Amino acid sequence: MHRVLSNKRAIFWMVFPGFAVFCFAVFIPLFYSVFLGMTDWRGYGEIHMVWAQNFSKILFHDPVFWISLKNALLLAVLTMLIQHPVALLFAYLIAKVGGKREKLFRTLFFVPCVISTVVTSRMWVAFLSPTYGLVNHFLKAVGLGFLQTDWLSNQRTAIYALIFVIMWQGFGWAMLIYYSGIKGLPKDIMEAAKVDGANRFNLLWHITLPLLRPVIVVNLTVALISSFKQMETIFLTTNGGPGNTTQFIANYLYTEAFSAQKYGYANAISVLFVVICILATVILNHSLKRDAIES
Amino acid sequence: MIGVVKMTQEKKKRSIPLTVLLTLVALGQLVPLVWLFDFSLAKSGDLFGSNMFILPDPPQWGNYAKAWINGKIPQYFVNSIIVNAVSIGLVAVFSVTMAYAFTRMKWKLSKPLLALVTIGIMVPIHATLLPNFLIFTRLKIADTYLGLILPYVAFGLPMGTFIMTGFMEGVPHSVEESAILDGCNTRQLIFRIIFPLVRPAIVTVIIMTYISTWNEFIMAATFVADDSLRTLPYAVYNFAGEYSADYAVQFAVMMLVALPSLLIYAFLSDRITAGVTEGALKG
Repeated sequence: MHRVLSNKRAIFWMVFPGFAVFCFAVFIPLFYSVFLGMTDWRGYGEIHMVWAQNFSKILFHDPVFWISLKNALLLAVLTMLIQHPVALLFAYLIAKVGGKREKLFRTLFFVPCVISTVVTSRMWVAFLSPTYGLVNHFLKAVGLGFLQTDWLSNQRTAIYALIFVIMWQGFGWAMLIYYSGIKGLPKDIMEAAKVDGANRFNLLWHITLPLLRPVIVVNLTVALISSFKQMETIFLTTNGGPGNTTQFIANYLYTEAFSAQKYGYANAISVLFVVICILATVILNHSLKRDAIES
Repeated sequence: MIGVVKMTQEKKKRSIPLTVLLTLVALGQLVPLVWLFDFSLAKSGDLFGSNMFILPDPPQWGNYAKAWINGKIPQYFVNSIIVNAVSIGLVAVFSVTMAYAFTRMKWKLSKPLLALVTIGIMVPIHATLLPNFLIFTRLKIADTYLGLILPYVAFGLPMGTFIMTGFMEGVPHSVEESAILDGCNTRQLIFRIIFPLVRPAIVTVIIMTYISTWNEFIMAATFVADDSLRTLPYAVYNFAGEYSADYAVQFAVMMLVALPSLLIYAFLSDRITAGVTEGALKG
């Protein structure tokens, strides 16, 4: 028994290939990034070390970096305040319908999530287009023509239009997770509460929501972290514009890297980006664990 | 008995307004897609009329023919299939073997290496785009299938291993123990005993990996510049640049790119729903 389960050669061949690929495409680039982040390399010529200069410039003299973080926070807050309550409500309603219709609705609401972001992003660019988009056509048709604007290029609307698109795309995920949480709740508690004369609102507020707490917490954590990791939708709709008002950190580093060719500087942003993501995850998980023990 | 029948009838009646509400919201959510499909069958100029929706008369199926050919859909589709089949297959196999070695086998580095792989879940893909672009270019694997397969596998593995280790912890040891006593070697043990045992988790891993790699765009756009190697999502981006005035055909390209995902979802929606919720709740 022991010999089979501690066969070194077998273990090596089971772990090494996958682990090697993982290190090659995830860990090694991170270390390479740390190194290049300390240089002023622009893709050609000699590499000069500038050590912490890029990092201090980003943190203390780069307003775009801070705009990116602020936008991520705004997205996170709006997602939590708007997308998640709505998703939870609809998960609850769908779970109530029952039968074939329940399955149908569950399937329909998730459709945007199975389509490539490229399609949905370009679709929204068209949908919000100032010249032929349906949104502006609609506003005109219902007599609100004065509200028409170039949603994704207007400084005042762009970030909110973008956040709306991101929420639209992610709605199905949030809802599906709440839905499966609701489906997993113990039925006998509900029945008992019903027998005790709890009305529907009481049932939802005092029984369902408290029982769902772990699912809600996990779902909100995922939402917060993914707000920081947004990239494709931004790249394909506003690309950070107009004037960096819709910039997000991943898109910013991509622009700095591939449009401005500032390899050193962009790598430094990359490093800070990884640090932020890992810190956020660790801190959230830590406080959640404490939360779970207390409750 | 009568009471039960009455109750279900009442329940049905009560759920009618609910059904109407949900139908309206679902339609509202899908309006952009319906609009896209509608005008993909119209003439490009129709978009600039005042109608929100139109009845294309006759439907311009020619838009799709144009999209199919000029959008190079078949070629991108084949590339997508190759890259995804290899990536998903490797993630599935590696996550089983790695999870097994991490949870059941006895060796010194098991814990630290597992921790390292799990940290990978937190690493954002976008932070590796630039360094990987530089490394891949230097090693000449940019502009090859490998340039996509390697990062797809690398980013699929942490989640895959995580789901798989979680699942294996719930699998009783008794089957493998008797297999080992019967003289199974490690290879037989893994391929004959463990793979069938963890099949449900493999399905979850395959679905999670499929959803993220099939639709993946930014790595595909960064690491591959050779048009003959590009994957399906890129068609939209490419076409939007080249034929920017031909809106209807652009819309047709988007529909064609979305179609395989929609078909797969239509046939496997239960599996995908189950897989996604399992994967998401564990992650």
